[in-house]
Amino acid sequence: MSDDLLEKYVRPEKNPGTACKGCGLRLAHRRVLEAIDQLGLGQGDVVWGTGIGCSGRQTFVTWKGDTFAGTHGRVYALATGVRLALPPEKRLILTVGDGDAFTIGLHHLLHAARRNVDMTVVVFDNLGYQSTGGQYGVTTPVGSRTDSSPYGAWEPNWTEGGHDVLRLVREAGATFVARHTVLQGEAAVTSLKRAIENRGFSLVQLVYPCVTHFGVQALGTRDLGRIYDWFRDQTAEGVAAGGDKRFATGVVHDGVGKRPEFTEALRGFVARVQNGEVQHG
Amino acid sequence: MKRTFDTGNAAITEGALWAGCRLFAGYPITPATEIAENMSRRLPQEGGFYLQAEDENAALHICNGGSLGGLKAMTATSGPGFILFADPFGWAVSSEIPVVIVNSQRVGPVSGITGAPGQGEFYLSRYLTHGGNYETIVLAPNSVQDAFRLTVRAFYLAERFRTPVIVLADQMVTDGWETLQTPESEAEAREMGLERVERRVNPGPVFYPASSDIDIPPVVLGHNTGAAASDWTPTDRGHDTEDVTWQHKHAWRLIHKILDHRDLIDEAQTWSVDDDPEVILVAYGTPSRVVQSAVEAGRAQGLKVGGIRPVSLWPFQDALFSRKAIYLTVELNWDGQLVREVRRAAAAGSEVHFWGRCGELPSVAELLDTVRQLQAGVALTRDAWRTEKW
Repeated sequence: MSDDLLEKYVRPEKNPGTACKGCGLRLAHRRVLEAIDQLGLGQGDVVWGTGIGCSGRQTFVTWKGDTFAGTHGRVYALATGVRLALPPEKRLILTVGDGDAFTIGLHHLLHAARRNVDMTVVVFDNLGYQSTGGQYGVTTPVGSRTDSSPYGAWEPNWTEGGHDVLRLVREAGATFVARHTVLQGEAAVTSLKRAIENRGFSLVQLVYPCVTHFGVQALGTRDLGRIYDWFRDQTAEGVAAGGDKRFATGVVHDGVGKRPEFTEALRGFVARVQNGEVQHG
Repeated sequence: MKRTFDTGNAAITEGALWAGCRLFAGYPITPATEIAENMSRRLPQEGGFYLQAEDENAALHICNGGSLGGLKAMTATSGPGFILFADPFGWAVSSEIPVVIVNSQRVGPVSGITGAPGQGEFYLSRYLTHGGNYETIVLAPNSVQDAFRLTVRAFYLAERFRTPVIVLADQMVTDGWETLQTPESEAEAREMGLERVERRVNPGPVFYPASSDIDIPPVVLGHNTGAAASDWTPTDRGHDTEDVTWQHKHAWRLIHKILDHRDLIDEAQTWSVDDDPEVILVAYGTPSRVVQSAVEAGRAQGLKVGGIRPVSLWPFQDALFSRKAIYLTVELNWDGQLVREVRRAAAAGSEVHFWGRCGELPSVAELLDTVRQLQAGVALTRDAWRTEKW
């Protein structure tokens, strides 16, 4: 990470963070800081929440401003309460993992999307449970060998075989949804900026390579160049892209401004009750 | 003073509002649903937020989040929802975030019987989350008025101690109708002994001092203080650490901020315990109403009987049982929970017996018959918590 971004936003005692050497997580973290920087936001403009796992551990209390960590999968519910209490102009960014968002926390994630609560969920997707040593998850490519799929992962996942968990998030009511790999720097930062600016529920999935587990177990290499080549080879531009590519990337849904934001609507409702404009039955 | 005829559910609602609660998130569940319903009507009138969460786990997480942002918050449930609080309750304990939790106990195990009072969560309320290394504050009302008062108290203690406080009620307390008095002015509130503490903001950079002090403002987000809150083991600044020295400081603070200030928490009611009682009945919640009647009736009949009602259940008040006596706990369960703590706490040479039932209260006559048996040294058919056959 460049020194200026670090100095501006990251607590010095939390640098270089917890990610393994060569891990794409640092790059993913950097993409979010770049977006914040390009939007001209300062440390007092953003409240940063985190989930559990590699992404949570890498990003928790790195933000110089106010920050919190949720229980595994429940940070969307926690953040709903935080959002209600915060001034509306504060940007609320959550950095979580694929397990947090799409497995243990999917229920809560979908309800936060249904309400269109103003928050930006950035899913740092390392294609499985890597902080526990490398087990398959719901974004692990089918066929991958992991510590809990020694014969190759065969369960249907959320991203192949005609499924896309991001369509579920869109249908639930999210107003901005996108997927990129961390190697698609400019596109990823553009989506993150749009997501952070959205006064509603945004989700950006950033797929990144885990060298220690996914690289070694599924791809048979720790070599960053070879892992990156595999990522580039598996990336399709355009979310409608099918074929044999693992990662269909781009903006899945841009409905910014198309639905009322939940906490704003709730404040409006409370004001109408207090003004006697609506009566209870 | 405003006098109404209302339920414990309404009393809890009004108590919370008086205490400054401005966020309620809940999930409908018998017999606590009416608290949510009352809140959905009353909170917007007071400028507060009512949310129906996707489940109880989310409900308490939403409350935690609101509190972390500076709002006083409460949720309410019964057993099947209470167990789902394990996760967010632990988060609030460890992050030291004030929040109030109401449990209207029904009959268990698990879904059990919905429309009758139970007392199956005495121990669960002590250890509602995993990992140990903490103390819990639990208050148990036994009337509609008491539900109002103790809800106010729960908010007061939650703020001062930076911790979740549980109001452990039962179905009869919350569904029951009685006279409810609520203050119409601050002077009336003072007269009623009600207190509240406004939310303050910890300015940092030390959010988690190695101290058992209370009245340290909780961590609040949104003020750009570098606030950090999480369920990880914190350094004094809230940074996550694997260092057991910090973990020891953390656990010590969670335990001793409560144990060192028990004068603010401990509360009990007693009847005729200083009048040489041979048998002392012990109960919390609704059964304590029958115990009070039984002591009064028993004394009128010349029986040497007394009664103890712990109002604050946890930390457990061992000192209430320092007298050598024959104790009989009266509980709404078959397996005997309170009795186990009384056995542990009772003075040497005491006997501790158990009277329990599910679904309905004991009668005064039943309790006094049991008192006579115990005085006469007649063995009870029930041996402690081994329940007899139907």
